Amino acid sequence: MSRLLAALVLAAFGLAACGEREQVIQPVSEKRYQGKRDSKPWDNDSPVAELRGGKWTKGNQASWEEQIKIRQLAQHEHKRIYQ
Amino acid sequence: MLLTRKATGQAVPQSRLSRTIPIQTLDRRTFLKRSGITVGAGAVASQLPFSMIREAEAQNAEGKLEVKRTICTHCSVGCAIDAVVQNGVWVRQEPVFDSPINLGAHCAKGASVREHGITHDSHRLKYPMKLEGGKWKRVSWDQAYDEISKKMLEIRKQSGPDSLFLVGSSKHNNEQAELLCKWARLWGTNNTDHQARICHSTTVAGLGQTWGYGAMTNSYNDEQNSKSLLFLGSNAAEAHPVSMLHTIHARENGCKVIVADPRFTRTAAKADKYVRFRSGTDVPLLFGVLHVIFKNGWEDKEYLKNRVYGMDQVKKEVMEKWSPQQASAVTGTPVEDIEYIAKTMAENRPGFIIWAMGQTQHNNANGIVRASNIVQLALGNVGRSGGGCNVYRGHDNVQGATDVGPNPDTLPGYYPVAVPGSWTHWAKVWNVDIEWLKKQYASEAMMAKPGMTVSRWIDGVLEKNDAIDQDSNLRMIIYWGHAPNSQSRGSEMLEAMKKIDLMVVIDPYPSASAAMFAKVRQDGAYLLPAATQFETDGSVTASNRSLQWREKVIEPLFESRTDQMIMYQLAGKLGFGDQFIGKKDGKADHIRLVKGKGGMDEPSMEDTLRNEINAGTWTIGYTGQSPERLQAHMRNMHVFDVKTTRARGGKDAKTGYDLTGDYFGLPWPCYGNAKIKHPGTPLLYDTHKHPMDGGHAFRALFGVEKDGVNLLAEDGIANKGSDITTGYPQFDHVLLKKLGWWDELTDEEKAAAEGKTWANDLSGGIQRVAMKHGCTPFGNAKARAVVWNWPDQIPQHREPLFSPRPDMVEKYPTHDDVKVLWRLPTLFKSVQQQAVKDEVYKKFPLVLTSGRLVEYEGGGDETRSNPWLAELQQDGFCEINPKTAADRGIRNGEWVWVSTPGKNPGGGNVRLKVKAKVTEGVGPDTIFIPFHFAGWWQGEDMLPYYPEGSAPIVRGEAVNTATTYGYDRITLMQETKTTLCQVAKA
Amino acid sequence: MARMKFLCDAERCIECNGCVTACKNENEVPWGVNRRRVVTINDGVVGAEKSISVACMHCSDAPCMAVCPVDCFYRTDDGVVLHDKDLCIGCGYCFYACPFGAPQFPQAGAFGLRGKMDKCTFCAGGPEPDRSAAEFQKYGRNRLSEGKLPACAEMCSTKALLGGDGDVIADIYRERVTRRGRGSEVWGWGTAYGQAPRPGAQPPQQQQPSGQKS
Repeated sequence: MSRLLAALVLAAFGLAACGEREQVIQPVSEKRYQGKRDSKPWDNDSPVAELRGGKWTKGNQASWEEQIKIRQLAQHEHKRIYQ
Repeated sequence: MLLTRKATGQAVPQSRLSRTIPIQTLDRRTFLKRSGITVGAGAVASQLPFSMIREAEAQNAEGKLEVKRTICTHCSVGCAIDAVVQNGVWVRQEPVFDSPINLGAHCAKGASVREHGITHDSHRLKYPMKLEGGKWKRVSWDQAYDEISKKMLEIRKQSGPDSLFLVGSSKHNNEQAELLCKWARLWGTNNTDHQARICHSTTVAGLGQTWGYGAMTNSYNDEQNSKSLLFLGSNAAEAHPVSMLHTIHARENGCKVIVADPRFTRTAAKADKYVRFRSGTDVPLLFGVLHVIFKNGWEDKEYLKNRVYGMDQVKKEVMEKWSPQQASAVTGTPVEDIEYIAKTMAENRPGFIIWAMGQTQHNNANGIVRASNIVQLALGNVGRSGGGCNVYRGHDNVQGATDVGPNPDTLPGYYPVAVPGSWTHWAKVWNVDIEWLKKQYASEAMMAKPGMTVSRWIDGVLEKNDAIDQDSNLRMIIYWGHAPNSQSRGSEMLEAMKKIDLMVVIDPYPSASAAMFAKVRQDGAYLLPAATQFETDGSVTASNRSLQWREKVIEPLFESRTDQMIMYQLAGKLGFGDQFIGKKDGKADHIRLVKGKGGMDEPSMEDTLRNEINAGTWTIGYTGQSPERLQAHMRNMHVFDVKTTRARGGKDAKTGYDLTGDYFGLPWPCYGNAKIKHPGTPLLYDTHKHPMDGGHAFRALFGVEKDGVNLLAEDGIANKGSDITTGYPQFDHVLLKKLGWWDELTDEEKAAAEGKTWANDLSGGIQRVAMKHGCTPFGNAKARAVVWNWPDQIPQHREPLFSPRPDMVEKYPTHDDVKVLWRLPTLFKSVQQQAVKDEVYKKFPLVLTSGRLVEYEGGGDETRSNPWLAELQQDGFCEINPKTAADRGIRNGEWVWVSTPGKNPGGGNVRLKVKAKVTEGVGPDTIFIPFHFAGWWQGEDMLPYYPEGSAPIVRGEAVNTATTYGYDRITLMQETKTTLCQVAKA
Repeated sequence: MARMKFLCDAERCIECNGCVTACKNENEVPWGVNRRRVVTINDGVVGAEKSISVACMHCSDAPCMAVCPVDCFYRTDDGVVLHDKDLCIGCGYCFYACPFGAPQFPQAGAFGLRGKMDKCTFCAGGPEPDRSAAEFQKYGRNRLSEGKLPACAEMCSTKALLGGDGDVIADIYRERVTRRGRGSEVWGWGTAYGQAPRPGAQPPQQQQPSGQKS
C-alpha cells in the first residue's frame, strides 16, 4: 500500500522517480524519466493458481527471476521432449 | 455493462474492463474506490485510443476464477488451451505447456479463440431468424421449431424421407456427430454427409482399401523420429501451423524435408528442397519417383515379400510407363528433381509422405492417394515409428466425425449401410426397435443404399428426376455446421437454392448460406443459432486419432443452444424424440437428459460416449476411451512423453487412475472395453509391439487368398509376443473355438460372442482374448498394392477434366461417364472431351488452384468474424506470377477479374473480383486463390442479404463460386485444385 | 539479474501470426494498432523467403528514449522499455527513431490527430499499479507481475519467437544452432542489444555502439 501511495504522490507532484531509476545506459542524453514511478513485478503476491502464473517470495527479486527463468524453458521444446 | 451468463440474454455490449481479472491482491479494488484517483484515471483513459474503457471504473468484476481445459476448434492438430473464466465470462487464455501435442504453442487462430467468448460487437447469429419477404426476421425458438417441423413433415408426406439432405459437421464433437448420424437415420434417410467428403474421403477410401484403416498412420509427434518428410499436397505451415513444431524440430535434428507443390508455400520456405509440378499430376510424379526406386533396387524386398500383395504388378507397369523422363514430361518437373526425391527418401528411412487437400481434392484423387501408399510400401515405410502416411485432417474433429458421424454410406464405425447386420448392431446399441427404424425409411432398399454426398447435393436438387436413383429430388437442405462456399460450382448452388422448398441453417455463424439464399429467395429459410464447441463438453479426435475431452468453457451465448439440445428438441417435434435417446422398453439411463441452457433438457455427452460410441464402435476401437480415462489424460498431460506420446507413469490425483503405459488420448484403435485398459495405438500396423502395448498389423479385410496368392502376412510376421507367428484372418467365434481359446471368455462374454465377430461382439470378449494372445483382432494380413475391386486396380494418371494440356488429355483421359454413382449420374469423359473440343484451354490458359490461409478456417465465416484474425487478411486476393501479371498489365495490389469455364445460369462465365498479389510463389501458368472468403458475388458485396449484425467483418469472393465440374470416381470428392482460368485487369 | 529480450529465429518463423493474435487477445489491442507484426521478405522466392516477427525489442540503448521530448520512457530493472501515456504527447519522434517500427499511433478523432503512442510492453503493463484496471486500460496485461512471460513468445507455434531473460534465450538458441548447424544469424540483436546471441554469430554489419548489459 505504501508503495502505491508513494507512486501516486510522486505522480501527482510530477517529481518523477528520477532518483530511483537505475538508468544504466544513457549515452545519448542525460535526460531523465518524468513519468509516474512503476512498481516491480516481484513486489506483487504470486497470482492465484487459476491464472497459471508463477510462484515466488513477495519482494524477493531473486526468487521471481528464478521462477521466470524456469518458466522460460517452456519455450525450449528440447527440454520437454528430452526431459 | 457486465456480461452475464444468463442464457436468454441478448447481445450485451461488453466493456474491455468487465473482462479484466482481479488478482487476489487488493491493489486494484482499493485503488478504484479512491474517488479522486478514479476520476483522474478515467479522464486519462478517455483520451486514449482504447475506447472501450469508459464506464469501466464503476465495475466490480470480482468473482471466482475457474480454469476450463479445452481444445482449439480450428484444425486437427488438437492444441490444448486453458480458458480462465470468471463469473461465466471467458477472461483469459493461457497456454498449456504440458500438452504433448502442442507444448503451449498456437497459430493465429489458436491464440485468438477467446474471441468466441466476447459478446461485444459479436458477429454471431444471436437468435433464430426466418426469411420473410426477402428480409431476415427474428423469431422465437418455438415458432421456428413449429414451422420447420410442420414443413418437414409435410414434404416428407409428399415426397418421402429421402427428399431431405442433412449436411452435418466436422466441427461437432464425437458425441454430437454420432447423435446426428443417428438423427438422420431415425428420420429415415442416408442422405447425410459432412466436410470429410470434401476433405479426405479419397484418403479414407484409398488407405482403407490398401491396408485396412483410412486414417493417418502415425502422429504429428512421430515425425520427430523420421529421417525424411515429403510434403506432397500439404501446406502445413498455414493449414496446421503447430504441426510444424514437430516438423522443424525433426529437421533441426537432420531429417530431410521436401515440399512438392505447384506453389512455393510457407512450408516450402522451411524445406531443404522445393519441387514444383503441375497441379493434378501427382500420380506421374510419385510413379516417376517409384520408377527410380525400383530401378536402383532401393525397394524393401523383404518387407514387400512378407507384408505386401501385388507390388510386382505395380512394378511392371511403373517400369514400363513412368520413366523419370515421361514423368517429367507430364508434370513439368525436372528429371533430377524426381531423382532427388527418390534418392532422398530411399537413403533417409523411415520417412513420411504428408498430405492434405493437395492430394485429395482432385477428380483422380483415389489414384493419387494410393500412389502415395504404394511408394511408402515399396520403401517399407509403413507400420513403423517415423514412417508412414501422415494425412493431415482439416477440421478439429473431421477425423472423429468421419469415424462416428453422419456419413451417407456408413453407420458409426464404418459399418456399411448396405449390410443388414450393421443395422441390427446399431439398433441394438441405440436401443431402438429395428422394425420401427425400417418403417422410417422409404423402403429397405433405400435403407441399404448409400445416400448422396455433400459435394453434389445441388445435383440432387437440379438433376432430372428420372436420372436419379431415388424417388424424389431433394426438396429440403439442412446445413448443420457446414459452410456453402466450401463446395465447388457455387454458381449452380444458387440455382439449387432457388428451387428447394426449405433450407434450415444451424450454426453459430450461418452467414454465407444465409446471404446466398436471401440473394435469390424471398422466403423458405430458417437460421438457428448453435453453440460453439466452447459452450459444450465432449470429446474430439485429432488427426493422430487421439481423443481429447473438452470441458465446457462458457454457457451458450445469446439465444444459442447446443447442437445436442437442438437435435433432441427437433427430434421431439418430428416424432422421434424418445428413440433419439434410446428409451425403448422404458430404459431411462441409456442417454440421460441433463440440464442445459435455461434449464432445458439435453442429452448427456458422457452417456453418449459411454453407451453409444464406446458400446458400439468395435471396428475401429472407439470402445476403450471412456470419458473417465479421457478426462484423466486431460488432467495429467505432463506425464506423456512428447516423442512417443506414452505415459511413463503417473496416477490421476482425482480418480486414482493409473496412467502408466497409456498413449496420449488413447489413439484409436483402443480395442476392448475400458476395463481391459488397452493403451491406444499410436502407430497403425506396427508389428514390433504387442497389441496390448499399442502394436498392430495390416488388416485382413480382403480375404485370405487372391488368385492363389496368400493375402495374409507371411511366416515370422506377427506382433511381438503373438501366439500365432504367421498371418491370420479376422477373429470371430469360429476362429476362437478352433484355436482352443473360446473357454478363456467369461460366461457372459460367451453368451454375447456366440455367432459374432471381433467387430460386433458387444462384450468385447473376442477382442480381449485375441489381444491376450498377442494377436490383432482384425487379423494379420498383407497390404494391397493392387485394389482389384476398383476401376483403376493400379493407380493411373488421369488428366483433370479441365486440363491446360489437350495432348495429355488424349494420352491420359479420364473415366467414362457413370450412370449412377451415389444416387446421381456422374460425368467424366463427356465433360473433358467437350472442353477440349471447345478449346477451353485457349480461352482460359491458366491453372486455377486454391488453398488455405493461416488466419482463416474452412468457409471462413467464423474466423472472418473474429477481429483479431480479420485484421490480418482484409481482402480476397489471387497470387499471380510477375510474368503473367506483366503480360496482362497488372500491378501488385490492383483489382483483377479471374474468370473460369464455370457458367452463370443467365449466361456468361463466372468471374471473381480479387486483388492481385504478384509473387514468384506461383509459376507463370498458375493462379492461386485462398478459399476462405465469401460474401461477394462476382464483384457484388452481398452485405444487404446478411441477417443484421451477422455479416463477417471481412468479405470477399469465394473461389468455389467459380470452380468447375469434376468428381472422384470412387467418393465423389470434388475437384477444387485444378481448373482453368483467365485473369484480366478490373 | 534478468535482462528481458526478444529473439525471433528466422529459421523457424512460418508467419503464422500466432504472436500477433496472442498479443491482441492478451492486451485487447484495438484494430489498427499492431504491437507485433510478422514481416516476410522475398515472398515466394525459392531459397530466399524469410519471415520475422517484429515488435519493440526493448533496446539496451533505446533511441526512443533518447529522442522523446517529454521524457516519458523508462527502463525497468529487468530491462523492459516502457512509457507513461499520461506524459506522451503523440509527437511521433520515437517512431522515426525506432529501428524496428515499433511505436504505434492510433488515429484519434476526425482530424486524424495522433493518439498517444502505444507499443509492446513485453507484457509488463506500465506505470499504473500492477494488475490494476487502469494499467490494463492503458497498457494491457502485466504478465511479468504474474510470473509469466509475453503471450506472443509463450504461444509461438514453432517456438521461433523467444522472450525472456537474455541469458536463457542465448542458451536455448545456442543449443538449437548447434544441433542444426546453421541459421545462427539473429535479425535485430545487434541493433537492439549491441551483441550477438552467441559467440561466433554474425551481427548485422551496422554495429551500434555497444551497450552495456544492464
